[in-house]
Amino acid sequence: MAVSHSEITGPIVHLEVNELSKLYDERRGLLPTTFRASKGELIAIVGHNGAGKSTLLKMLGSWILPDSGRASVDGIDLGNRTAFVKKVGFVPETPNLFEFFSVEYNFKLFSRLFQVPLSRIEEILKEFDLLSYRKNKVQVLSKGLKQRVNIGRSLLPDPQVILFDEPTLGLDFEMTREVYRLLKSIHASEKTVLFTSHRPEEIKTLATRIMVLHKGSMVFDGTPDEYFKSKAYKDLYL
Amino acid sequence: MIRNIFCLILNDLAIAFKNRSVFLVIFIPLFAVLSLKLVDQTGTNFRPMRVGIIQNQTYPAAIINSIKSADGIFVLSEISDVEKGKVLLKERKLDGVLINSKSKRVELLVLKKESFQALAIVSGLTGLQRIAEVKSPNWVSGITPLYEGGMPEQSLPTWVLMSVLLVGFIMIPAQVAEEKEKKLLLGLLQTPMRGIEWLFSKLVLGMILTFIAVMLLHLLGGFGFGNVLSYILFLMAGSFCFSSFGIFLGFLCSTQASARTLGVIFYLPFLFPSALSEFSRKLSSIAPVLPSYQFFGPVRSILLEGGGLSDFFFEWGYLFLLGAVAYFLSNQLMKKRWLM
Repeated sequence: MAVSHSEITGPIVHLEVNELSKLYDERRGLLPTTFRASKGELIAIVGHNGAGKSTLLKMLGSWILPDSGRASVDGIDLGNRTAFVKKVGFVPETPNLFEFFSVEYNFKLFSRLFQVPLSRIEEILKEFDLLSYRKNKVQVLSKGLKQRVNIGRSLLPDPQVILFDEPTLGLDFEMTREVYRLLKSIHASEKTVLFTSHRPEEIKTLATRIMVLHKGSMVFDGTPDEYFKSKAYKDLYL
Repeated sequence: MIRNIFCLILNDLAIAFKNRSVFLVIFIPLFAVLSLKLVDQTGTNFRPMRVGIIQNQTYPAAIINSIKSADGIFVLSEISDVEKGKVLLKERKLDGVLINSKSKRVELLVLKKESFQALAIVSGLTGLQRIAEVKSPNWVSGITPLYEGGMPEQSLPTWVLMSVLLVGFIMIPAQVAEEKEKKLLLGLLQTPMRGIEWLFSKLVLGMILTFIAVMLLHLLGGFGFGNVLSYILFLMAGSFCFSSFGIFLGFLCSTQASARTLGVIFYLPFLFPSALSEFSRKLSSIAPVLPSYQFFGPVRSILLEGGGLSDFFFEWGYLFLLGAVAYFLSNQLMKKRWLM
């Protein structure tokens, strides 16, 4: 059930994805996919394992290169990587931080590479309640705190679109709630958020829009209310 | 661009310190100098040959008198029997034992026939025989060595090669693969940093580590530099070539463990044929095929024979060209996000 979604998209389109595809082999990957996301949307991308959710986010996060298609944020094309990465932050499911070093070192390294002022680090540390951990080595932090640092790092250049790949995977209840709070606060700052998830309650709690991928194709795109009544939801969970 | 490269080099050096891999760079020169000092103490420099004679045997007087009179060439000691002589040979307390043979001749008992000691005793005795029999002077009037210096200086090019290859094939691939395995490289590629900047920083890291290792080797061992400019230019070419090669190997692996294995697979065949080419005719014909020999040969010449860059311009260019090819291939693999 591929659905056009012009009625949901807001007036300011942040992210445009046009026929974007990546196939690892005949069975795995993402078939040509098209959608648009507007400012302030919180989009959940759901589907079985291997449906193409992470592939989509990884392509937008410049982790893997698409086979075909285009994507742009505020008119800046995915092919222009050095400019695109300032517009799109990607938070992978496993934190990829320099674990030998402190939280502050990680932020400093990336702020230099992003060419953002060091004062931005203070803002992020404060916003993510990491001030007391700034000198701690990442390797001694809990999984939840690492994820918080990971999210903070991706927000250093103040991107307009943030991508979360399974943001609560492997986290306990408390930490999951903490990540929900962070996602909501990022969403409140009028950024476009896309996240992948397997958890219906997570989708219900957070998402303003849901896209369902099945075997590399988008089979549903609609509001949460529409989704929980849809065949796509029943096929996935029931 | 330069700012990013500088930032990444500092980060790479910090990682090398944190994960202790930089200690390898320090350990190799320390180990080399220490082992060379030990080799010197046991005596590769000239010393009299220690020869034993059996107490109850009667030796030709001419031989014994000649040996006794040749003070400084032989040290003669009496031993109870042949069995005792064998024990002393095995304990390295004697270099040879003379056993009375038929007529006016003696038989020499040594640990190994093709040893330096056996050769020295035989040539010493031959010389004494010539003097005793008042024959014409020795055909060889003197020896002019091609390579100056003792064992430590002679082995210096091998240690330099070892250091360059260690950084290139063991350290760099592991660090590249580690950054791939832990998705750190992908994290860095989420910044406006260009892939080529990351590659260049790894290259500079390899060159810095190589220079640290080689400088330590020279400083700790008190070795000279030969033609300094040529030496530095060859070190640059060698470290560029093998660090580039190492980055390429790192890109071929998805994990640090596989990169280490692949590194060793390349390290040993690149090291041994070149380093041992002087000792084997077969190896000396195989070694020039290897890029490591194109580095080792000129470095040996610069350090030991007074050679210069002008004598080895082809080798220098070859190393840079090979390094550039490896660098280009690594860049292609990075663009394709190979095994990331």
